[in-house]
Amino acid sequence: MFSIIKRRLLQLVFVVFVLSLFTFGLMKLAPGDPVMTILNADEMMVTEADQTKLRSELGFDQPIYVQYGQWVLGVVQLDLGKSYVTGKPVINEMAERMPITAQLTAGALLVMVSISVPLGIISARYPGKWPDQISRILALIGASIPSFWLGLMLIYFFAFKLQLLPTTGIGSFSHMILPSFSLGFSLSAVYARLLRAGLLESLSEDYIQAARARGVKEGRILWFHAFRAALLPVITVFGLSIGSMLGGAVVIEILFSWPGLGSMVIDAIFSRDYPVIQGYVLLTGVLVVVVNLLVDLSYYWIDPRIKQKEEGTT
Amino acid sequence: MKKNKFSLKSLLAICIGLFILVAAGCSDETSNSDTEQENAGKEDKKVTMIFSFKAADLDPHTGFTPIRAGITETLLKLDEDSNINGWLAEEWETADNVTWEFKIRDGVTFQGGTELDAAGVKASLERSIAVNPSLEGSLNIQSMEADGQNLTIITTEPYPALPSELVNPYTSIVNTAAEKEMGEEAFRDAPVGTGPFKVKKFTSNQEVQVVKSDDYWDGEANINEATIKFNEDANVRALALQSKEADIVYNIPAEGIEPIEKDQELNVESVPGLRSHFVLFNQQSPNVSDVKVREALNVLLDRKSIANDILLGHAIPANGPFNSNLPFGINDEVKDLDVEQAKELLGEAGYEENAEGIMEKEGKPLKLEIITYQARPELPLIAQLFQSDAAKAGVEIVIKNVENADTHLVENTDWDMATYSNNTSPRGDGSYFLNTAFTETGALNVGNINSPELNEVIKELNATTEPEKRTQLTKDAAAIINKEVTHSYAVYPNSIVGMNDRIIDWTPTAEEYYILTHKMDVK
Repeated sequence: MFSIIKRRLLQLVFVVFVLSLFTFGLMKLAPGDPVMTILNADEMMVTEADQTKLRSELGFDQPIYVQYGQWVLGVVQLDLGKSYVTGKPVINEMAERMPITAQLTAGALLVMVSISVPLGIISARYPGKWPDQISRILALIGASIPSFWLGLMLIYFFAFKLQLLPTTGIGSFSHMILPSFSLGFSLSAVYARLLRAGLLESLSEDYIQAARARGVKEGRILWFHAFRAALLPVITVFGLSIGSMLGGAVVIEILFSWPGLGSMVIDAIFSRDYPVIQGYVLLTGVLVVVVNLLVDLSYYWIDPRIKQKEEGTT
Repeated sequence: MKKNKFSLKSLLAICIGLFILVAAGCSDETSNSDTEQENAGKEDKKVTMIFSFKAADLDPHTGFTPIRAGITETLLKLDEDSNINGWLAEEWETADNVTWEFKIRDGVTFQGGTELDAAGVKASLERSIAVNPSLEGSLNIQSMEADGQNLTIITTEPYPALPSELVNPYTSIVNTAAEKEMGEEAFRDAPVGTGPFKVKKFTSNQEVQVVKSDDYWDGEANINEATIKFNEDANVRALALQSKEADIVYNIPAEGIEPIEKDQELNVESVPGLRSHFVLFNQQSPNVSDVKVREALNVLLDRKSIANDILLGHAIPANGPFNSNLPFGINDEVKDLDVEQAKELLGEAGYEENAEGIMEKEGKPLKLEIITYQARPELPLIAQLFQSDAAKAGVEIVIKNVENADTHLVENTDWDMATYSNNTSPRGDGSYFLNTAFTETGALNVGNINSPELNEVIKELNATTEPEKRTQLTKDAAAIINKEVTHSYAVYPNSIVGMNDRIIDWTPTAEEYYILTHKMDVK
């Protein structure tokens, strides 16, 4: 187990390094830099000389590898630099926005679990019957509806037509409902189907038959025997999709004006705010690797056979 | 097989029961808060607005939100007709455009009670230049001297545009002593100015709440409290107005106006803006270097259709760089779409129609590339309309969509035209646009325009103080631009503001600087 953690941490350094190198290179290849945004050329009298001066002040006239090297040098000293646009340290900016994105993701996960688990269980319990059909249709709808459209429709019905919930903003529980649902619904579709498949497979295993033969109650079989085994593929997919989950939050963040990490990086990309983009990539890289490590570790708990097998071989 | 623990029927019943519970829970909770809101509305006057532009902080010297939220004010301001008037400075004068005397208004206090004097103004202007690098070039201040309520500014060169630059919200006057007390970080989130409202709570990129300041110099504000939220999604903003959650909403999409107008309690104001959408010509491209070709293209731009069909009537067809409603707008007539005239002009430029109806010169067909970008969604549509109208005159236009137009236009030389959009008169003066978009050193002169006649006029404008003469020179410059067709102006888009009828004594203004005012009231 500890060897896994050690291996993964080494992997982390490598992944993050390659990731940051690629983003830096790509962003520098993309035309444009933040100079016009910083000087506010759309409103202010700016000359070409001003631009050149600022470019050299920011070191944009230096070779790319020097610029990248300086960034890496900062990072190893735990300094992610300052945003060119707001002037705030990137680390503060991210610390400010992280809880907001975390809140949104947590809300979405809650919605996801509370829809997909019952739906998955019901459809595995009654395969081919109407609950299964309904869950299939729901899953199809969930997978095909873009979350921004769902978000707009939810705002239209719940905020405008019924006037039950606020359109946008953060702060209270009622502010969380619509964004969490918009993001969580499409996720739940995938997981419900995944869980159904996993359950059907594990329900047909020999040990389930054995449990039934021993007269163990059906509910207990489902929860304690089959469900646990069916979680394995679900958790694996979850680990792999954490990155796209954070990415999917971007649209919802803009729609509901949640100032989270997603809207931060979108703004940063448009204004070519390199330190912010790099900081974001670094953070998500670490997050994805760490979540996947946790996922791997959870295998031991979910399915003790894995641990036994490993102990047997070593 | 063993009987299922629960039957399908009971499952269905549970589902329905749960749904009812959830629905009941939701409605219960919000109806409570609704009544709370109503009660609050009766007790104190509160307004909620939504802006499309968000603010990461409230530093008045790097963002416009503080002036828009009525927190800060500037020395000079624009009136409804974009004339420059005194605000925190009562009056100002200069003999040589180098030494400027400003008389700071008596009896003005910062929120919290500190009196405003010339020394306070000086400290604030110094802070603005330190915080915002672009102000150094736009203010051209060499030195300042404060004596009681009199502030003397000496500019580095004769600089008649100084009053116009002091209208700029980035030069807002703040209490720098309060900044020292609070600390820089805290001040950026709750700046202290002279406006009718002070910051109650600010959430970065989310919203700012302000309350009435008791110390306001120009009379008590009518409303007690206001919340300004930021949302970048136009549809959501429109829905927030329709659900009555917001009283005033900026930048409603043209297609979202109809349902708002149907609502008896809501209203849409379409305000002529200070922006121009136009087509820019690359002076280095041999294809459009002939003025006759540019004149021909100029009459192929269907301005009326752009205003009516693309912007759904919320724009004014353009006749020059500056909105014709402005004091320095010109009276030239708006060019109509005229395919025949375009063909004639192209003929004068040496082009002939070939067998396929394509205009060609020395066997080479007239094929032009136009650059456009998505950031302003109407620009690609203008390019498409232009393309189809030009085809009628035998001119082929190829549309190229780029992400970052500014950089593309600067780094490439092989383009012929571009759709573009600029705020052409941000501070009641045309000199900003003329200097940045037409002179050799201007940052927005991506087409490398260099017209000796125009340069002469701009130079004279830069050295002229008297408002009437400046207006005339700005008009002269516009006439030269039209004559040489260095730009082809399409429309002046309106800014569309949705508002609830409970808002009274307030109308949105073109410059979008002075939004929350002490005069705004609610029924």
